[in-house]
Amino acid sequence: MNRLSRFLFCLLLVAIVGCGSEDNATVDPTVSGKELTICVLPKIKGIPYFTSCADGAREAADELDDVELIYDGPTDGDARKQAEMIENWTVLGVDAICVAPNAPDVVANAMKEARDEGIQVITWDADGTKDSRSHFVNQATAEAIGLAMVNAMVKDVGGLAVAGDVVIVSSDPTSDNQNSWIEVMKPALAKTKLNLVTIKYPGENSGQALADAKDVIKKYENLKGIFGISSVAFPGAAEAVEQMNKSGEIQVTGLSLPSEMKKYVKAGTVKSVILWNTPNLGYATIYAARALAQGKTLSEGGTLDAGRLGELDIVGDNVLLGDVLVFTAENIDDYDF
Amino acid sequence: MIQRPREFGWWHEVVLLLLLMAVVIGAGMFVPKFFWSLTQQLRLSRQMWEVALLSLGMTLIILTGGIDLSVGSIMALSAVSFGIVFEASESLPMSAVSCLLVALCCGALNGALVVWLKLHPLIVTLATFAAFRGIAEGVSQGAHYSGFGEAFRGLSHDNYLGISIAGWSFFGLVAVLTVMLTNTSWGRYLYAIGHNESAVRFSGIPVDGMKFSLYSANGVLSGLAAIVLVSRTGAANADVGSGFELEVITAVVIGGTSIFGGRGTVIGTALGVLLIHQTRKFVDLYLQAAEWTPILIGCLLIGSILVYRACSRDSK
Repeated sequence: MNRLSRFLFCLLLVAIVGCGSEDNATVDPTVSGKELTICVLPKIKGIPYFTSCADGAREAADELDDVELIYDGPTDGDARKQAEMIENWTVLGVDAICVAPNAPDVVANAMKEARDEGIQVITWDADGTKDSRSHFVNQATAEAIGLAMVNAMVKDVGGLAVAGDVVIVSSDPTSDNQNSWIEVMKPALAKTKLNLVTIKYPGENSGQALADAKDVIKKYENLKGIFGISSVAFPGAAEAVEQMNKSGEIQVTGLSLPSEMKKYVKAGTVKSVILWNTPNLGYATIYAARALAQGKTLSEGGTLDAGRLGELDIVGDNVLLGDVLVFTAENIDDYDF
Repeated sequence: MIQRPREFGWWHEVVLLLLLMAVVIGAGMFVPKFFWSLTQQLRLSRQMWEVALLSLGMTLIILTGGIDLSVGSIMALSAVSFGIVFEASESLPMSAVSCLLVALCCGALNGALVVWLKLHPLIVTLATFAAFRGIAEGVSQGAHYSGFGEAFRGLSHDNYLGISIAGWSFFGLVAVLTVMLTNTSWGRYLYAIGHNESAVRFSGIPVDGMKFSLYSANGVLSGLAAIVLVSRTGAANADVGSGFELEVITAVVIGGTSIFGGRGTVIGTALGVLLIHQTRKFVDLYLQAAEWTPILIGCLLIGSILVYRACSRDSK
């Protein structure tokens, strides 16, 4: 008993001394021998959209010899878990953290702390609060996305001369991205003969999206088109049109992964799918983070050297990925995301 | 009344301490800049105080042979009330008080159902586990409350000797509860209730009152944990504290408290919390695959009980 407690005491002492003396140990390479460790944090790990972004990030990390990529995120989209991951990475002393925040205010503090430790913090896919990151890798401006969707609809219904009703199936009433697109679409639609009759908010619930789309098809007899402006609303709307045998009569367009929409495009229900190139978004994010970690400044009006993407424009503190893509029956097979 | 064995009664705590040191030293070989650095350890310690606080109340409840599955849901409901009151009043003290009041009511409801309707705590708290979160979701309608300001954030981020107020209150509670459990009649009654409740009843001890106050106090503690969590993350919604109940119970059981009541210490629980935290950090920082966390914690749970049984005479 006595001997035991003495032994324990010694062990404890060793542990405490060990803790103290390692305190100022020099920084060693974090996970591997590579120079730069870049962490990429998606909103949710494992859904097709972010997996395709991760593929692009991995491609960039593979072709850059000095970059080690850590791609991880919550599987349930919990912003608190995102914040804890940023705190963990800060402790590891990584070089750059790229965040797609689920809730900007929840992750902001962890991001600011990381910046205080000298880590480069940028956002991608969705922006955070201004003081929590230095740059935002912006996949497409709200302007570009909104106009692309309206133009696609006008083309799909048969040109500017065609008159009729259209509806928008969005996500939640509080979804920032969707709301900013709607703001662009409203005035653009006003210049056409298409009349926006209602906006539905099924949230991120595919069953609800399908039900909402069926409702509007029944309710508006002169319906010419449905915009599905989230990756849940779009397939839901297309499915509703198919189930009610309105293919060809009612056009569906919107925003989703081409791989998710391929079967509707092949069936002819959907003629155009709008999206940015998601692998390129992940790819550009790695290049931006690397440039910052190497000490380069990305300032207004300049460009970012983004490997196979060439030079990307920097506007304000946004790195712009470039144009949105329109996927049609002709080109949809060329993309594998 | 129960007599603690005359011989050394802290075997489980010793085993846990050794295990904890083994984990810190072992994991430190892979990630020295976290496990062997006091500053970094203290920095990430803030991630565990909510579970740590909850585990203390849970220890007392499990000591009496009860259980409280509703702690995470009480956190959600009280966090939502914190958010709603703050939105209406812009006053932190008022929000905190109403948060604790709501939590107290939740705990008291648990206590009342257990004591006066004589329902099993597992059933009562399983019901309130679902109900409280449902109410939280209904009241908040999925809303997300934030913008509580820098001062409130300090509660979980300002450090005194490297540890936040939340952390110090945990250590304070550990000390107070240890003294109360070992040196007061209240403490001995608690163990006794866990061993043989009817015998204690026949001795004229107010078992009902003790249990009722225990569940109510556990409610308040959950409210406190909710405030700490909201302060740390800066946002309150109905998702707060989901899954906490099992994490807390695991920490208590790893800490050597018998799930049937009558045996256990608060220090053991504290060591259990630390052990789980270190294991979790090893997964986060080295393995970087969250799926390993539950696997390793499951192994820890079985392992710590087996090791304890092997070296203890007081094993059953």
